[in-house]
Amino acid sequence: MMFDYGSLRAREARLGKKLGKIVAIFLVLAVLFAVLGGYLVFVREALCWVCFSLAILFVMIYYWAKRELIPVPVRADEGLNGVLSNDVLAAMPRNPKIADLATVVAKTNSGKFMAVRYGITPNFLSALVADFPEGFNVGQIFETAMKIREGTDSEELHGAILAAAIIANHPASESILKQMRLEMKDVLDGVVWFNYLNGLVRSIGKREHRGGIARDLSFGYIPTLQRFGQNISAEQEGAMKTQIHQSAHKEIVEQMVSIFSNTGRQNVALIGAEGSGRSTIVKAFAELLLNADAKLPSSLQFRQIFKLDAATMISSAPERGQIEGLVMHILGEAFAAKNIIIWLDNAQLFFEDGTGSVDISNVLLPIIEAGQLRVIMTMDQQKFLEISAHKSTLANALNKIQVPPANEEETMKVLQDQTPVLEFQHKVSYTIWALKEAYRLSSKYIHDLEMPGKALSLLDTAGEYASPSRLVTSESVQEAVEKTSGVKVSGGATSDDDKSRLLNMEELIHKRMIDQVDAVKTVSDAMRRAAAGVRNESRPIGTFLFLGPTGVGKTELAKALSEVYFNGEDHIIRVDLNEFVSGADVSRLIADATEDELSLTAQVLKQPFSVVLLDEIEKAHPQVLTTLLQMLDEGVLRDVRGREVSFRDTIVIATSNAGAEKIREYVSNGKSLADVREEFLNYLLSPEYAATAAAAGMSAFRPEFLNRFDEVCLFKPLSPTDCMQVLDLIIAGVNKTLEPQKISVEVSADAKELLVSAGYDPQLGARPMKRIVSKTVENLVAKAVLSGAASSGTTITVTREMIEAEL
Amino acid sequence: MFMVDMLSWWYSRGWGVFVDGFKTRLRDSVDFFSIGQLLRTLFKPYRQISANSNSQGMEAFFDKLISRLVGFFVRVFIIVFGGIALLLESLLGIVMIVAWPFAPVLVVAGIAMSVMGVTL
Repeated sequence: MMFDYGSLRAREARLGKKLGKIVAIFLVLAVLFAVLGGYLVFVREALCWVCFSLAILFVMIYYWAKRELIPVPVRADEGLNGVLSNDVLAAMPRNPKIADLATVVAKTNSGKFMAVRYGITPNFLSALVADFPEGFNVGQIFETAMKIREGTDSEELHGAILAAAIIANHPASESILKQMRLEMKDVLDGVVWFNYLNGLVRSIGKREHRGGIARDLSFGYIPTLQRFGQNISAEQEGAMKTQIHQSAHKEIVEQMVSIFSNTGRQNVALIGAEGSGRSTIVKAFAELLLNADAKLPSSLQFRQIFKLDAATMISSAPERGQIEGLVMHILGEAFAAKNIIIWLDNAQLFFEDGTGSVDISNVLLPIIEAGQLRVIMTMDQQKFLEISAHKSTLANALNKIQVPPANEEETMKVLQDQTPVLEFQHKVSYTIWALKEAYRLSSKYIHDLEMPGKALSLLDTAGEYASPSRLVTSESVQEAVEKTSGVKVSGGATSDDDKSRLLNMEELIHKRMIDQVDAVKTVSDAMRRAAAGVRNESRPIGTFLFLGPTGVGKTELAKALSEVYFNGEDHIIRVDLNEFVSGADVSRLIADATEDELSLTAQVLKQPFSVVLLDEIEKAHPQVLTTLLQMLDEGVLRDVRGREVSFRDTIVIATSNAGAEKIREYVSNGKSLADVREEFLNYLLSPEYAATAAAAGMSAFRPEFLNRFDEVCLFKPLSPTDCMQVLDLIIAGVNKTLEPQKISVEVSADAKELLVSAGYDPQLGARPMKRIVSKTVENLVAKAVLSGAASSGTTITVTREMIEAEL
Repeated sequence: MFMVDMLSWWYSRGWGVFVDGFKTRLRDSVDFFSIGQLLRTLFKPYRQISANSNSQGMEAFFDKLISRLVGFFVRVFIIVFGGIALLLESLLGIVMIVAWPFAPVLVVAGIAMSVMGVTL
């Protein structure tokens, strides 16, 4: 299969390219020669015939150029040379080599489309074709391209298809695409996307048959309805065609045609969550009714859909009697006009009393039951159930149709469909990664809308966060989520710096934490596995149970993890489970964000990239623990409203002092915690421990709960030597606080020994140490600063005697 | 080559392209004047002007009758006007289709007539 440089289409395409900008001149010349010819006829000059001849010739050339050359029509029966797109034909050299194909792609509109949206740039393609062997048979690329054209149902073989064919023929295509976070399917989707946009451009200027002058002559005047309603049908005329990509939605439109064509209840209630495409269905239905070429019953053809707005009506007729009178008047007008279908969007606003809503069911019900006026209602499932509970007659009178949300493939098609509108509004270009990220992040972080509405809404917002080159990328979408909802989504290890921190995690953690080498290593290994993608995506990043006595660094390790993994200590959500000791406390744990912004679910909704620290888990009520099981297992927790909150970007750490005495016993007997780990866990599950826990009013551990954690880390009690290192860290902290004042503190070795002996408590670990330092060292510094003994540049040396005096 | 390509198109696909274009334009005009729809609704009340009145009995009958009469005359006027427009458009199109193959001949004939010094 080869390209024929001398074929008629190729010649025409090259000529069309040359004539493209000057073609209008032929028409002007034709008019000029016709006028001149007329004048010469008038003055009886024989030259007039030449002028007429030239006028006819220029008209012929103009018509030929417009109909045949710009662009050259497809001739599918002529094989490759008959289907190559105009811009490919015009740019293709004689006997093209593989490198020429990359150059040709770069010159085509579809090639530019793939460069902007998929990153398949001219440079990328040039690098790609350089990998092909010298003398590579280009016919192979054309053969693949023809197959892609067929598979993507493309009319022409354009630059995007050639680009896809080059990639498909590359020996390492899969790994190259993976590096770009793409698959071959994405590239082929790009071809279809381009075809769709190209089709839209070509359809501009094509007249649609909408019924002409006669259409509305038989239908009545509707001045009040026009004032209070929105004519959806009129908006569809001249607007971009409403596309329906969900097969379920197509069936719903057909169902609506069927319901309104038959005798019987002339109403449709579209029940579905906001964002699921209810409005799109109504708009597509409105467009269908206006299409003169559609096969519709005459009782439906050219009917117009008017949307009624409850808020406008209430503001115009605030009194109860007035609003009912207004509704009756509007509906009477709609009935008399004989071509109106009323659409009550958010129909619940017409069936309940409240701010912005009014209950006029007593007026609407007889109309709906009589079936004289066609009515479409849209509302969500919850509202419909509420109305059904209070107004069963109304609910029974409705023809209910469920509107399901879109799946990923359908949502992506809707997003691609809507990009021209968004791009026009924001003056930007969207990349495929922006679309994918909009789907991914909206499904995680937007809870009040359904697909595809939520992804579309996020993509729209992301248009405001385009890069300086006016490109909307995945980062733009992340920024949009962060700026509009306060959710931090760009966490985790992505950059080289992040990777380096993960590789040196133990070292970084030990800069702020003493000992607990085993626990730190266990956690670090788990975090590295998670960051490398070796983890279950439908669970939290990591789940850990930290067991050990008080003051040994459990909370400190959680904070260190937050700093190292999420780049900040503030990414920690702490829940003291000793406040959740009764079964009724479960509702507080999963309270709605509007009622309690400090509930666990509310905090995770706000900051999903966090360390969730569940302190003193042994004190929580068993029902609380059962609730948390779902979070550990599936990475989600339902709040009191039934809304799914994702914990899949969190690290969950539960801490407990359970069995602390046992741990001390092991350590004092010289046993390594790593060796006795299994024995200790068995002890926690034993009836012996259960009895001890029950006596202390605590929950016993259940095997199914312990098994839910990725790792159980045992923390050993700190020794006096460890406490000395803790003391150094605390003093370093004091120096850090004093740094802005350029004052530093030095504590002598014997003073440190005194502080450790005063601050060390085998039961409380290093916890009292901080209090002792505060009481002694910090007090001494404060006095020195206030008395003027210490100023900028001073180093305060604290001696044993000074400490003794303070203690 | 330029002229050969153009003439070969003119006498092959070009004619068909022109006929298709003519048919599309005619279909658009038929939709615009919508004579079929006008005929189907010839006696329907004009803009339902009687529908909202509170009249009853004979008064209502005459209201509706007037509305139908107004509708009838408006529609007949559009049918006649549209019919003439469609007829003219069709005639012009047919003339052009018939004249199509003669266009290149006219170019040559015109030059020949000038050379021969023919004047009107």
